[in-house]
Amino acid sequence: MFRLKDSINYLVAFLIILAVNFFLPRLMPGDPLAAIYGEEALIHLTPETRSELINRFALDQPLGEQFWGYLSALVKGDLGYSYYYNDAVSAVISRAFPWTMLLVGTAITISALAGSIAGMESGWRRGKWTDRFLLTGIMFLEGFPDFFIGMVMLIVFGVVLNIFPLAGAMTPYAGYTGLAMALDIVKHLILPAFSLALVNLGGSFLLARNTMVTTLGEAYIFTARAKGLRDRVVRYRHAGRNSLFPVITHIGIQFGRMVTGALFIETVFSYPGLGLLIQRGLQARDYPVLQGVFLVVTIMVLVTNLFMEVLYKKIDPRLKPCISTTGKKLRQTV
Amino acid sequence: MHINYWQEIKTNSLGRIGMALLVLVVGAALLAPVLAPFDPFAQTPDSLEPPSGLHLLGTNDVGQDILSRLLYGARISFVTAVAVAFAATALSLAAGAAAGLIGGHFEKLVMRLADALLVIPPMLVVIIAAAYIQPGMVHLVLLLSLLGWPAGARIIRAQTLVLKEKIHVRASRTFGAGPLFILKRHIIPDLGPVLTAIFIRGARRAVFMEAGLSFLGVTDPMTVSWGKMLYHSLKYVYLDVWQWWLLPVGMALSLTVMSFTLIGYSLEEAMDPRLRREKHA
Repeated sequence: MFRLKDSINYLVAFLIILAVNFFLPRLMPGDPLAAIYGEEALIHLTPETRSELINRFALDQPLGEQFWGYLSALVKGDLGYSYYYNDAVSAVISRAFPWTMLLVGTAITISALAGSIAGMESGWRRGKWTDRFLLTGIMFLEGFPDFFIGMVMLIVFGVVLNIFPLAGAMTPYAGYTGLAMALDIVKHLILPAFSLALVNLGGSFLLARNTMVTTLGEAYIFTARAKGLRDRVVRYRHAGRNSLFPVITHIGIQFGRMVTGALFIETVFSYPGLGLLIQRGLQARDYPVLQGVFLVVTIMVLVTNLFMEVLYKKIDPRLKPCISTTGKKLRQTV
Repeated sequence: MHINYWQEIKTNSLGRIGMALLVLVVGAALLAPVLAPFDPFAQTPDSLEPPSGLHLLGTNDVGQDILSRLLYGARISFVTAVAVAFAATALSLAAGAAAGLIGGHFEKLVMRLADALLVIPPMLVVIIAAAYIQPGMVHLVLLLSLLGWPAGARIIRAQTLVLKEKIHVRASRTFGAGPLFILKRHIIPDLGPVLTAIFIRGARRAVFMEAGLSFLGVTDPMTVSWGKMLYHSLKYVYLDVWQWWLLPVGMALSLTVMSFTLIGYSLEEAMDPRLRREKHA
């Protein structure tokens, strides 16, 4: 049921991203090569490399030709060369990419699971103090910037309690293999993933809670209770299962937010993903890497959103109103 | 049904907390020169001091008084918030109302653009643009507002479409009122609460994003900003200074964001009949 109309927004968004990436460095005053590569990199260039680069980016050609050159390089997967890492940008990014995905994936899983369980319990006890407590607590958490939560977690669990490692994704030069390596990675992952999940708990919590509240009024819940089923069974098997669906569909909307959040969390925990690349890139004025990461991350977000949008419509046509790409949260019913 | 929004916020406990927090932040921002015991930039030999009677929150590694920096930081957050919210709301109004009133291909074009901008994570665009421009205050405000209008524009367009079919607006059109007159006389006054809600949401986002950007170090290095102070304390996480370097600043930032969230929430509660609690029943 894939319709072209659904994907037009994404196509336009993609073009905007390409345009930002292409025009920003070329609109800067002065040497375009300096804007593309950063001043520092230029100092080390020999005249031959310089002319080769100008040729490669077609910088001596009119803008139209330049754009064509840019596009054809992109299609070949060529994102440029980083003089800071002394490596192709695509290689630098592909080293960092899995870590960000691991972090975001874990955080999304945690926040969806914890959020929906808390939401179901909260909705079940609507108006009781547990509900009030969870509701205010989670709304409160949403107000914290991700990096602040990350830093507090880092200090409490890393520095003060000293249970978790402070930085990185694995212990360097430890030579762990197999299970020990996996454990090491998990140990490094816990703090950043939980920090990221904690700030983003609100969405799935509210969705699960709202669906729970409405589901509890349904006739089949009444029937289940009349059958004498235990509370827990009604809560999870009958009502809970139905409140899971909107949570899952919400993941697509959350993805963009999570990836952006991960950029900050990675900076806090020196986690070797794309966020750290951005932070280092900003400090070293490593423009090729910045542009590459920008392109990869935005495209990833676009593709995920598009995929989820198409998927929702396929799974459940009823959901149409709440899957708007505006990311607007479903209203809360207190 | 007429709703007195100010009254609603005042009687709503969440709204009251939000207003109180906001007054606190605005007070700190306005009175920073009076309240701050030291020059926030002055570097003194008394570095890395723990809190004392002289330096209530201690000093940082170059001997700057943290309390003074905290107070001055409120200015940056607050000015960014108001400026961005104002500009973004104005853009939303211009785009949304124009799309709603003019219609046709113009409306399609504007809304397509808005929809497309909505699916791009704005923070990333700001980061990449900031990397090139190295924005000062003005550029930062421009950047953030340019990316902040689409969500508001959608809401305003939807409202405009409803409003323009109302009888009094149609009547005024039969008397020959042009779109600008209708906008000024009939649409904008009725949009008041919606615009306020959009404004508050914009302010909240701006505080968040300014903090994030200065945390990454892409804003003007000559300003005192909470995000920058947080990044600074991250570098000294191994020293035992976080209690007064990190927590007060982080809390100030979070409370500012929260004040906007709470006010916005209580406003939304007042506007949405489904969320309104029956008080006079």
